[in-house]
Amino acid sequence: MLHVNIHKQLAHYEMAIQFKMGAEILVLVGPSGSGKTTILNSIAGLVHPDSGLIVSNTHTFFDTDQKPLPARERQIGYLFQDYALFPHMTVEKNIWYGVKKKNRKDSQKMIVELLQVLGIEHLLHKYPHQVSGGEKQRVGLARALAARPSVLLLDEPLSALDRETRKQCQDELLRLHEMWKIPFIIVTHDLDEAERLGDRIIYLEQGQITDEQRKRQLISTY
Amino acid sequence: MKRFLFSVLVIILSALFVGCSATDKKPNEEVELLISAAASLTDALEELKGPFEEKHEGIRLTYNFGSSGKLATNIENGAPSDVFLSASTKDMNSMEEKGLIDNESRKVFASNALVLIAPKDSAIEIASFEDIDLAAIAHLAVGEPASVPVGRYTKETLETLDLWEPLQEKLVLGSDVRQVLTYVEMGNADAGVVYSSDAFMSDDVNVLAESNAAWHAPIVYPGAVVKDSKHQQAAQQFLDYVTSDAGMETLRKFGFK
Amino acid sequence: MLEMDYSPLILSLKVAAISTFFVFVVGVMIAYYVAKRDFFGKSILEALFLLPLVLPPTVVGFGLLVLFGKNGWIGSWLLEWFDFQIVFTWIGAVIASIVVSFPLMYQSAAAAFESLDERLSNAARTMGASEWRVFYTIVFPLAWPGLLAGLVLSFARGLGEFGATLMLAGYIPGKTDTIPMAIYFAVESGQMEKATFWVMIIITFGFSLILWVNWWSKRNIRRFTRT
Repeated sequence: MLHVNIHKQLAHYEMAIQFKMGAEILVLVGPSGSGKTTILNSIAGLVHPDSGLIVSNTHTFFDTDQKPLPARERQIGYLFQDYALFPHMTVEKNIWYGVKKKNRKDSQKMIVELLQVLGIEHLLHKYPHQVSGGEKQRVGLARALAARPSVLLLDEPLSALDRETRKQCQDELLRLHEMWKIPFIIVTHDLDEAERLGDRIIYLEQGQITDEQRKRQLISTY
Repeated sequence: MKRFLFSVLVIILSALFVGCSATDKKPNEEVELLISAAASLTDALEELKGPFEEKHEGIRLTYNFGSSGKLATNIENGAPSDVFLSASTKDMNSMEEKGLIDNESRKVFASNALVLIAPKDSAIEIASFEDIDLAAIAHLAVGEPASVPVGRYTKETLETLDLWEPLQEKLVLGSDVRQVLTYVEMGNADAGVVYSSDAFMSDDVNVLAESNAAWHAPIVYPGAVVKDSKHQQAAQQFLDYVTSDAGMETLRKFGFK
Repeated sequence: MLEMDYSPLILSLKVAAISTFFVFVVGVMIAYYVAKRDFFGKSILEALFLLPLVLPPTVVGFGLLVLFGKNGWIGSWLLEWFDFQIVFTWIGAVIASIVVSFPLMYQSAAAAFESLDERLSNAARTMGASEWRVFYTIVFPLAWPGLLAGLVLSFARGLGEFGATLMLAGYIPGKTDTIPMAIYFAVESGQMEKATFWVMIIITFGFSLILWVNWWSKRNIRRFTRT
């Protein structure tokens, strides 16, 4: 469902990454500066590889020597580190930002459900600075999913949360994945978290895949 | 007791010292004369500076050029100045009324005429002030009549010729005579009215006509020593030099009369 | 009460408003374009933008005369093709005001854009927003406090512009006499009452503008700076 092949010269090393994935949870683990975020940004279209191929279902995002597909046409859900919520918009406006006008009606039911699952219906009229860290994380998730993405990227989604909230959010992520059944790519440097969340774990160092692990009890969907 | 005497001595000595420095000016100490002069005199006075300082050792000249009205206001508001060389009798009269100048020293040191000028490459042909063709002129640059003397004389002249009212829409008022000259030199105004001494100095304008002295109050340059001047004697020396033969010759060289 | 001609007030407001409008639109566009990019000669270009801020007004005025005068590069061209003259018109006052207030707008806008978190724009892009939508829903509202400061500074600067205006627009009573010119010529001709009147007007305007902006930004700062 998602094919990723990235070659890119970075400041201190050359990145060469290749993997394929289905509707599973893939966790990228590695020390900071190992290129995790660059992989997410390349998939999202915020940076471009020097060469390679990125294909999601039937859409070619990037192919060497072709004009890359702009970020806005990739239908990617991206939960940024620290969430990057729009500070001047209410929670409701944040969540609806990515929903196309013509899809408003169809999305209504799905978003109400999403808000229920995440337990943030009561926050709709608040501004981001008025809600807690855990709530922000949920708002960010709702916002990323509201536009019906075909892939969800999460950059250190839980690192800013305390232990208790983190546990809760991990369960939520797993539940959401059950519901949505799309590829989730999660970046983290926390090994415990990686093992709890990931169907597959890819270990990165200096832009290279050093190891790969698959949970035995789960059967890959591709 | 010793201590007390010593303090008294110190006080007496310092009083003496202060007294000395205030009254007994050494004769060979350098005097800086501040001359407030109408802007139109700039070039002539700069030329006078060298010969004067050579002749009067110990006196240094510092000029402050501006419009006569502005200089008068400055002096009235306490700006330091030793000699006031005005381009207008009116400003000098008001200074005299307010007791700001030494009336004895006042005298006329130069006179001037008004001329109509056009840019060097202009095709305009006007033989005299009376023939100013309203249709041929889009903008006539003149001095602002309330504050710039050349503007007041221009207004008088044009009023005498019944041209002031018809020209209202076309007048561009300069803040001093140099600005009027610049407007014409760069070709932005089709014509302008300045002193003959100003036109004389510019290579970029043609003099079309000279005004008749009967059309406006006499354009004379009165000069006087400022009452608050701390160098009355040197100031008088400078004024005398300006009106001497050597001074007059320099002024004539720059288009004054 | 003095017999007063209020045309300088109307003219000054008109000139400052029109020049501020242009300066705002152009300043914001250029600052947004330049702030996001790194290219050869960027700092030279920025220094050029800020130059009118440090030049004496008469130098700016002279430069404008060389450009827009009847025999100037642009002025002669406009005159020949459109029979349109800038020098000695209120349009000249607008142009002088644009040139001297542009650096203030550019400076404020560039600082506002550079301090924005690029991830917010990127988040909008991944949600399908076009570059234009990113600009007017994210960048513009978040940069607004800085842009407003630039806007007010430009307006105040335009209202007070004198030196360059006098050279380009000239002093034509009823046509190009802005408040600063009215003040200057009132002082020159000893009409102190008239001068005081206009000085009070311009101080009141400038003071209340700055006061209002400070009050406004203090009130709204939370919404725009915290995330």
